[in-house]
Amino acid sequence: MSQPAALTQESPLGDVEVTTSDVERVERALIDASTRLPVLVFYASAIAWLLVATLFGVLTSFKMHVPGFLGDVSFLTLGRVRPAHLNAIIYGWGSMAGMGTSIWLMARLCRTTLRHPLLLISGAAFWNLGVLMGIVGILLGDSTGYEWLEFPASSAITLFVAYLLIMTWALIMFRYRRRGHVYITQWYLLGAFLWFPWLYAAAQVMLFILPVEGVMQAAVNWWFANNLLFLWFGSIGLGTAYYMIPKVIGRPVHSYYLATIGFWTFALFSSWTGMQRLVDGPFPAWMITASIAATILTIVPVATVGLNHHMTMRGYFPLMRYSPTLRFTVFGAIAYSAFSVVGVIISLRSMARIVQFTEASVGYTYMGLYAFFTMVIFGSMYYIVPRLVGREWRYASLIKLHFWGSAYGIGLMVLLLLVGGFAQGLSLNDPTLPFSEITDTVMPYLRGRTLSWILLTVSHLVFAFHFGLMLLGFGRTASVPTFLNPLEREPGEGH
Amino acid sequence: MIGQPPENLPRQGMDYGETQRVHDTHAAIVREKSEPRVGREPLSFWLITIYGLAVFFGGAYLGRYAGNFSGDGLDYLGGAPRVATRAGAAGGTEQAVELTPVQKGQKIFSANCATCHQANGLGVPGQYPPLAGSEIVNGGAHRPVMIVLKGLQGPLTVKGQHFGSAVMQPWEKTLNDQKIAEVLTYVRQEWGNTGGPITPEGVGALRKELAGRTESWTEPDILAVPVDADLPGGVPPAPGAVAKPGASPLAAPPKP
Repeated sequence: MSQPAALTQESPLGDVEVTTSDVERVERALIDASTRLPVLVFYASAIAWLLVATLFGVLTSFKMHVPGFLGDVSFLTLGRVRPAHLNAIIYGWGSMAGMGTSIWLMARLCRTTLRHPLLLISGAAFWNLGVLMGIVGILLGDSTGYEWLEFPASSAITLFVAYLLIMTWALIMFRYRRRGHVYITQWYLLGAFLWFPWLYAAAQVMLFILPVEGVMQAAVNWWFANNLLFLWFGSIGLGTAYYMIPKVIGRPVHSYYLATIGFWTFALFSSWTGMQRLVDGPFPAWMITASIAATILTIVPVATVGLNHHMTMRGYFPLMRYSPTLRFTVFGAIAYSAFSVVGVIISLRSMARIVQFTEASVGYTYMGLYAFFTMVIFGSMYYIVPRLVGREWRYASLIKLHFWGSAYGIGLMVLLLLVGGFAQGLSLNDPTLPFSEITDTVMPYLRGRTLSWILLTVSHLVFAFHFGLMLLGFGRTASVPTFLNPLEREPGEGH
Repeated sequence: MIGQPPENLPRQGMDYGETQRVHDTHAAIVREKSEPRVGREPLSFWLITIYGLAVFFGGAYLGRYAGNFSGDGLDYLGGAPRVATRAGAAGGTEQAVELTPVQKGQKIFSANCATCHQANGLGVPGQYPPLAGSEIVNGGAHRPVMIVLKGLQGPLTVKGQHFGSAVMQPWEKTLNDQKIAEVLTYVRQEWGNTGGPITPEGVGALRKELAGRTESWTEPDILAVPVDADLPGGVPPAPGAVAKPGASPLAAPPKP
């Protein structure tokens, strides 16, 4: 015991060869303690925004089939509630939760305690302020009208300042990493941290500060939305899955070569996508075709990453019966492959002409944002939070309720929106059908979507309650993690 | 023992979430597996096949629908194969050739003239003179072209109706010879009018002749030109072409 103690005393972060697992454990404990406050601040804010987003999501979905509902309250009309919902999901929930997970992963993988936590906490405060101003602005009718960028200018500036604080921190951390191998997750996280400001600033400049002319604004808008989905949420989600899967099952990632190919082709092809949403628009054909071709090529990283995860998991799938982290993460990883395949199919011209302006494209977005990204992040939270609060999750039943509520909720929603959107598109392309009749055929799907939102609401409330218990110190103190099911055999070390 | 601070450091009360049972508090850390490592399995043959298919299909798609990477081949013209087989600007002129001079004239008329003279060519009584059945429109080509080029102001009598303060702006800077010829050809065969087609060369010749004139015409200036006067040096319209606008002389209009 004397040797690790001496090492820690000298400098836990010094450039020393770590040989004993004891030293590694002390190091982990120190790192986790240093990330505790910032990560919990990010998580708590994210979950609060998730509840806000859920409320607006239910309202949006309900208003689609009961248009008169709350129709007299100007700030709760569909045109405001819908962008409020999407932006709360994107900037409130998704970005904050993603950043929280990234912070923890970066600290762990750079093997360095978190420096300057105040920078991060003030970043989180500014970010919360920005999102709050943005949502209130949208509800008051101050929306800019560009999809995914509806936040008014004051809020956009606040978000950007907050982001610079957070990113500065991420770069500092990477600079002070322990020498050695840079793990796959770090590639994705660094990529995400550098791509986001580029995307956000480019969209802001080209749409608001020095606006491009005419239809090109639509091109910039879709480029931004699609790339935010891929390069920001996609990178964080994939990076997290690359950590959680091998970590929980205790087995190396299948192949370094696959990971490299997957990462670089992902970076190369995703950034070209976006214009496929504008098929038959007044744009040069090559712009749209280039995006469709790039979307087809995203099959390369998807197949690579999917195979890599699958081969890593092979033989360990039964562990999903016990580990909440693994169950959420693998669900998300599979959803990522499905999301990409659907993306390729609906971008092809013959298909896009049918589903382009229908609910199907909404379903596609939810596949990426929820079935993939949100589920992976839930999984990481189930892993990280116990390490931050020093307690295990209280109730396995609540975790199960959360998982099945989310899984059935999003599964139902995506299925309804894709199928409903396809039917809607076929009818819209038939000039003999009156418009009111087409609307009627979509109605059952929209009612079904409200049902799926109710499932999601239940699961989110359950999760928020459970997280609140953990935060308040009501978690279990035990030496074994909270498994979803009682163990039938000795799990060995795990989770 | 693990996770406890070294003894000689001055510190440190119980941290958040810590209990006396250190092993329980840090149980997660003690039991967790080491940080992920990466294996070195080679690429599988099937994956390379998928790469090949994706690249082939993506490339073929690009070649088929990229419209020759021309900025003019707009997507909604559907244009892919059609635009793809023609280079660059060909798409644009092809569109133009499909319209007859009369159709083009109609477009120019709705964009510039119909506000005052109305789409039905009847004008507005007391304010804007009619073009339908007007003696100026149906006479020789000289009068209509000079009016369009330089504009008109002051009192005027058309079809026996008196217009007190009619003002028409000069169009010589807005419309080129080609467009003036097209719009007048349209006006002279529409609404029962019987004037012949007008050629861009004729308009150009008259434009040159009147280059020194800066003011708009008044009624005496117009009456000074004989009613059947034609354009200087212009090709006189063939007698048979009157009822068939867009026929022989204008079938292949030269570029402006």
